[in-house]
Amino acid sequence: MISKKNSFTALSLASLLALAGCAGESPDDSGSETDSGSGDGTQISFIHWRGEDKAVFDDIIAQFEDEFPDIDVEMNIYPSEQYQATGQRMLTDGSTGDVFTSFPGAQFEAIASAGFFEDLSGEDFVGNFDENLITVGEKDGQQLALPYQLVFNMPVYNKGMFDELGLEVPKSWTEFQEMADTLLENDIVPIAFPGADIGPNQFMNSMMMNNAPDEDIFTKLQSGEESLTNEWWVKTLEDFQLLEQKGYIQPDALGTSQDSAMAMVANEEAAMLATGSYHMASLLGLNPDLELDLMAPITVEESEAQYEGINTATFMLAVNSKSEKKEQAKEFIRFLSRPEIASQYANETGQHLTVNGVEYESEVLQNTAYWIDERTTRFQPRFLITNAQIEAAVLSSIENVLGGAEPMEAAEEAQQIVDENRE
Amino acid sequence: MKISKMIYLFFIPGLLLYSIFFIYPTISALFYSFTDWDGLSDAYQFVGTGNYERALTGDTIFRKTVGNNLKFMLVVVILQTIVALAFALIVLKNTKTNLFLRALYFFPTILSSVSVAFIWSFIYDPSLGILNQILELLGLDVLRQNWLGNADIAIYSLAITQVWFHAGQMLIIFVAGLQAIPEDLYEVAKIEGASKWQTFRKVTWPLLAPSATIVIAYTTIQSFKAFDLVFAMTGGGPNNSTQIIATYIFDVAFRSYNFGYASSISVLFMIIIAAITFLQFKALRSDRISY
Repeated sequence: MISKKNSFTALSLASLLALAGCAGESPDDSGSETDSGSGDGTQISFIHWRGEDKAVFDDIIAQFEDEFPDIDVEMNIYPSEQYQATGQRMLTDGSTGDVFTSFPGAQFEAIASAGFFEDLSGEDFVGNFDENLITVGEKDGQQLALPYQLVFNMPVYNKGMFDELGLEVPKSWTEFQEMADTLLENDIVPIAFPGADIGPNQFMNSMMMNNAPDEDIFTKLQSGEESLTNEWWVKTLEDFQLLEQKGYIQPDALGTSQDSAMAMVANEEAAMLATGSYHMASLLGLNPDLELDLMAPITVEESEAQYEGINTATFMLAVNSKSEKKEQAKEFIRFLSRPEIASQYANETGQHLTVNGVEYESEVLQNTAYWIDERTTRFQPRFLITNAQIEAAVLSSIENVLGGAEPMEAAEEAQQIVDENRE
Repeated sequence: MKISKMIYLFFIPGLLLYSIFFIYPTISALFYSFTDWDGLSDAYQFVGTGNYERALTGDTIFRKTVGNNLKFMLVVVILQTIVALAFALIVLKNTKTNLFLRALYFFPTILSSVSVAFIWSFIYDPSLGILNQILELLGLDVLRQNWLGNADIAIYSLAITQVWFHAGQMLIIFVAGLQAIPEDLYEVAKIEGASKWQTFRKVTWPLLAPSATIVIAYTTIQSFKAFDLVFAMTGGGPNNSTQIIATYIFDVAFRSYNFGYASSISVLFMIIIAAITFLQFKALRSDRISY
């Protein structure tokens, strides 16, 4: 009863905010729904945020329903911001999201704390996934969620342009600056940085990966063992300052949107896009002649570098512990983890996956697949910040520096917010 | 005349809706503001006045949001009132051109805030945006700005958008107020030899005070609740320079999963709006006059 009461109160607070003009549209208003079922079987609800994957999921769901005529899948898609904000609340009574997806980091932690993840540890289909890529879905020895997508959150660069200018991928911070200087001499902006939206939260990962190779650094920050005023973060902020002061990122970067930054790279005004592999297909859509690859800035000397890039296993598939249709929900995840279905999803959406045995057909996916096995990447550090207020403080310090503040001053300001929000 | 007791039954539907959608959420928010509820779990603990103490003494971002909101409100209230009144005076007479212009000025009001945010994000884009391009064409390169990316001016850029969005709505209120002023008073002022400014100051403004009160109070409340515009255009950045109380409540409740604390900020938010609105009513009441 308490649960229902609390759920109602949560909705009530949302109503209050809505009345006060503080909330967005309700999920039902803006979510996209697909129910391709015949209506005579058990209906399971599948909720996620990937609107761009609707067509391929519709096709996969149709195949699933052909094979399992007793199960209908109702898919609801919500914008990612909205999903992050309201996804958890939809799970509370078990009627929605029999199969749901979660972001790693703060959302995963919140859902785990609320007990909405069904433990999938003993399920046979867990073996269909690369065990090294699904650890982010583990908590307290239980496999609570299975990341499906694998993205590389590091700059996409114009390989063709580099070849033309005789540039090689830099292996140290000194080489990186030399490379950037050469690009500037050729009137090319080295890095298109979408500072108005996702730039800081994406680029911070590769900028700090070798400055703070300890993967527990943000856990320690949250527990008070580490501070943003220590060298690893101040050096990262100094590196950002250098990018801005030397013109390695475009002027007015904090006002530049993702679309504008992509246009700069597509038009070959800029050599790198500081986002991630998930934008490669869109860039090729804007300019099919581009030859693209991935490259993270190595911010230390070559001998000190431990990582070459950043990976994120995300779009974590899970079963709602409150669901009354857990077996059907698991059957759907088992179906999604089949190599042939995963291959269809990967190739039609242009993404790498965590599923074993996926065959990548597109040139871009094939050309960048070496990042999965042959390169040393680390899991996106930002997602290891489980407190959203602390994450916001970390990102704000980057914006502060790009806005003209001194690195130490920005670090101190952010650390104060970290201290206020530490649990 | 005796009113049947049955008439009270007609209050019930409205009262019920008001209770469900306003009274209950308000009481719930007040209740949870004294807890540490995360918005998801069944369990919560009472933390006394801890959330309020944190907001008032230990939360740098909350203090910043209050400051941002006050800046935003001042710019919007002053600018929107002046713009709406000026345009109302221009389009006061019911000519065909003026009717068209009133409709034109009112048009932004009927747009969705997301559309407005999209339009203005494009206008403000530092490289592709038309605002900087126009300034360049006019040879005013020196005025080019990173409108939404510069922490010093981003909140004012948002305020301008808010004024564009809602000034037309206020213009209609002013036109209605102006048209209700008896023509005789202007004739008397003319006979007495009053200048245009004296006529405005001694006749128009005092009789327009009730409309101005509505406009200013409504604009104040609107500027505190400009959640959707801020959320869609800057998300509170850069570096929290456009974070206002409403967007912060959203962050705390739905990104940090701290409903208890978000509820306490919501309660403080209501108190702040109520206090400012009360002060405005008091101040503007003294300007009212009747002839």
